[in-house]
Amino acid sequence: MTALLDNAPLGVAVRIAGIDWSAMSEDEGRRLREFGLMEGVEVTPLHRGSIFSRDPLALAVGRMRVIIRARQAAMISVEAAA
Amino acid sequence: MTAAVPTIALVGNPNAGKSSLFNALTGARQKIANYPGVTVERKAGHARFADGRPMSLIDLPGTYSLIPASPDEAVTRDVILGKQDGERQPDALIVVLDAANLDNHLCFALELIALGLPTVVALNMLDLAERDGLTLDPARLAQELCVPVVPTVAVRRRGMTELLGAVDEALRTAKPVEPIAQVPMPGAAALHSRARAISRAATLSETPVRRWTARVDAVVLHPVVGFLILLALMFVMFQAVYAWAGPPADALEAGVGVLQSWVVDNIPENFLRDLIVEGLLAGVGAVVVFLPQILILFLFILLLEASGYMTRAAFLMDGLMAKVGLSGRGFIPLLSSFACAVPGIMATRAIPDEKDRLTTILIAPLMTCSARLPVYALIIAAFIPDRAVGNSPVGLQGLVLFGLYLAGIIGALVVAFVLRRTLARGSAAGFMMEMPRYQMPQWRDIALGLWQRAWIFLRRAGTIIAMTTVVLWLLLTFPKAPPGESQVDYSVAGRIASGLEVVVEPIGFNHDIALALIPAMAAREVAVSAMATANAIDAGGDEDAMAETLGQRLQGKWSLATALAFLAWFVFAPQCISTIAITRRETNSWRWPMFMVGYLFLLAYAAAGITYWTAVAFGLG
Repeated sequence: MTALLDNAPLGVAVRIAGIDWSAMSEDEGRRLREFGLMEGVEVTPLHRGSIFSRDPLALAVGRMRVIIRARQAAMISVEAAA
Repeated sequence: MTAAVPTIALVGNPNAGKSSLFNALTGARQKIANYPGVTVERKAGHARFADGRPMSLIDLPGTYSLIPASPDEAVTRDVILGKQDGERQPDALIVVLDAANLDNHLCFALELIALGLPTVVALNMLDLAERDGLTLDPARLAQELCVPVVPTVAVRRRGMTELLGAVDEALRTAKPVEPIAQVPMPGAAALHSRARAISRAATLSETPVRRWTARVDAVVLHPVVGFLILLALMFVMFQAVYAWAGPPADALEAGVGVLQSWVVDNIPENFLRDLIVEGLLAGVGAVVVFLPQILILFLFILLLEASGYMTRAAFLMDGLMAKVGLSGRGFIPLLSSFACAVPGIMATRAIPDEKDRLTTILIAPLMTCSARLPVYALIIAAFIPDRAVGNSPVGLQGLVLFGLYLAGIIGALVVAFVLRRTLARGSAAGFMMEMPRYQMPQWRDIALGLWQRAWIFLRRAGTIIAMTTVVLWLLLTFPKAPPGESQVDYSVAGRIASGLEVVVEPIGFNHDIALALIPAMAAREVAVSAMATANAIDAGGDEDAMAETLGQRLQGKWSLATALAFLAWFVFAPQCISTIAITRRETNSWRWPMFMVGYLFLLAYAAAGITYWTAVAFGLG
């Protein structure tokens, strides 16, 4: 059962099932990889936006915390973490 | 070894603690300049090996890999590969790793080690990793990486001697390296899994992550509470600029007064004495008095940056900035622009999207920079009563200052909104950023940063401001007015100002202001020194007039409506040669700086006009 990272509930760890690399620019894709966001990696969505917007999204990836936009999160499909 | 004084480069991911390490190794002996041809900041310094031999250290911009995503990351790659003009390839690398983030930082480290230069790894921020429940095995890491690994805690200067010792050893045993033609590029996935494997091998034990940071973030990044905290912080910052600067500013002002009387008492009355007293001391003194306020502002910005809060602020602002077509990335350059638009505009280089970056550059001058503070402070102190708002502890003067900052911000958002739909149209900006852990700011790093800012400000006061003031004094002093006529009105500068007065009279500006506006093109704070010089000349030998402060004299001559219009003008007016020059350099054409100057003057004129007419309508004229 897969869902999009953009819709994943906050505070629950999920595993990245797939990333639609073709939907993003080369730079975007590389930065995601540099952040360690790749297939099979576990991430936890932590915080989302402010009163003004649901953008951006803060994630925990291992010991690192990274910020991405909802648009990118919508290109990442996730499944329940084991 | 290739040269008498070896060059060692510090490289690493953003947030690895590179700058702290650089500060710890070099102390205050740093030189900040630009790489030739590009405007990326080059930080260099000196340190000594245990036996006293010198070495030169350079701090390279933080990056994630040797494939650059922005101009400053390109500099890092070119310097390491020896392709940067005017820069020798470093003799050795110190690769700085965040001990608590090995999974990710090892990727870049592996790329760097593969280059074959003598390399030492600094396993930095080991104390924070331990705080997070991580126990590492540096020896095992060294074994896996095949290079020496030195545990360091840069902020406490731990491991510095060992680090330099390891560098020394690496240089001694280095085999000559073939020049690297091509960056070896293993696949990203392969690199990552190798990094993770090494990280696992070097980790002895691990407990769940960063509880402390998580707890703070739950509040600070809360959709509502977090935003209120950000607003409160900014409000406190601008109140403090006013409240704390009083005593030291008074002391500086008194000091300038003492100097002036000393010169008057000890130098016979002649041209030179007038130049010193009325030109240099009155003009430069009027600006130097604002040093405390500028330092307080920078203190806040440096603390916010060093603590890790700045990225949280960017996170909170991103949604709002996205609505006008910018990104949270732009928040950091824009907040720096509150100190000075020049470093702010330079910091836009971290924004990957070109149109997003251009828009951020064009609105950066709308952030109230520290050069406006002297102007605001003078006018507010003279015209806004020093009392609390109602029964609250909030001061009216601080509130007006806050309002001026807010006006700049709102103006910037509106301009960005318009630009992103017209001249700088493009795809939606992206926002991808790493969020560092919270850290206790180190007073040593903060003090060094403050010292560098103070020095830059004083150097400006001593050069560009002193020069414009002296030129203005000459223009104000000649030709000599016949008895009975005002010297200021009769002088060359006075006549030019009279011409300009025709243009600015409709928006409530008087002769004083017209006179100040022209030299203030060089820098905004010159408006204050110009008025101080003009007033000093006007006062002539009249001792009572000399004793009055500039503020008191303006109070007698200006209406409140004029004062408010003058404040509104400076919210927008692009009066800073340095900003125009840096925009030319960063956008690589005259088109955008000219556009910036044009639209800002139009806005300034409109804002001052509307303020003046409204105030007059309310009977404040």
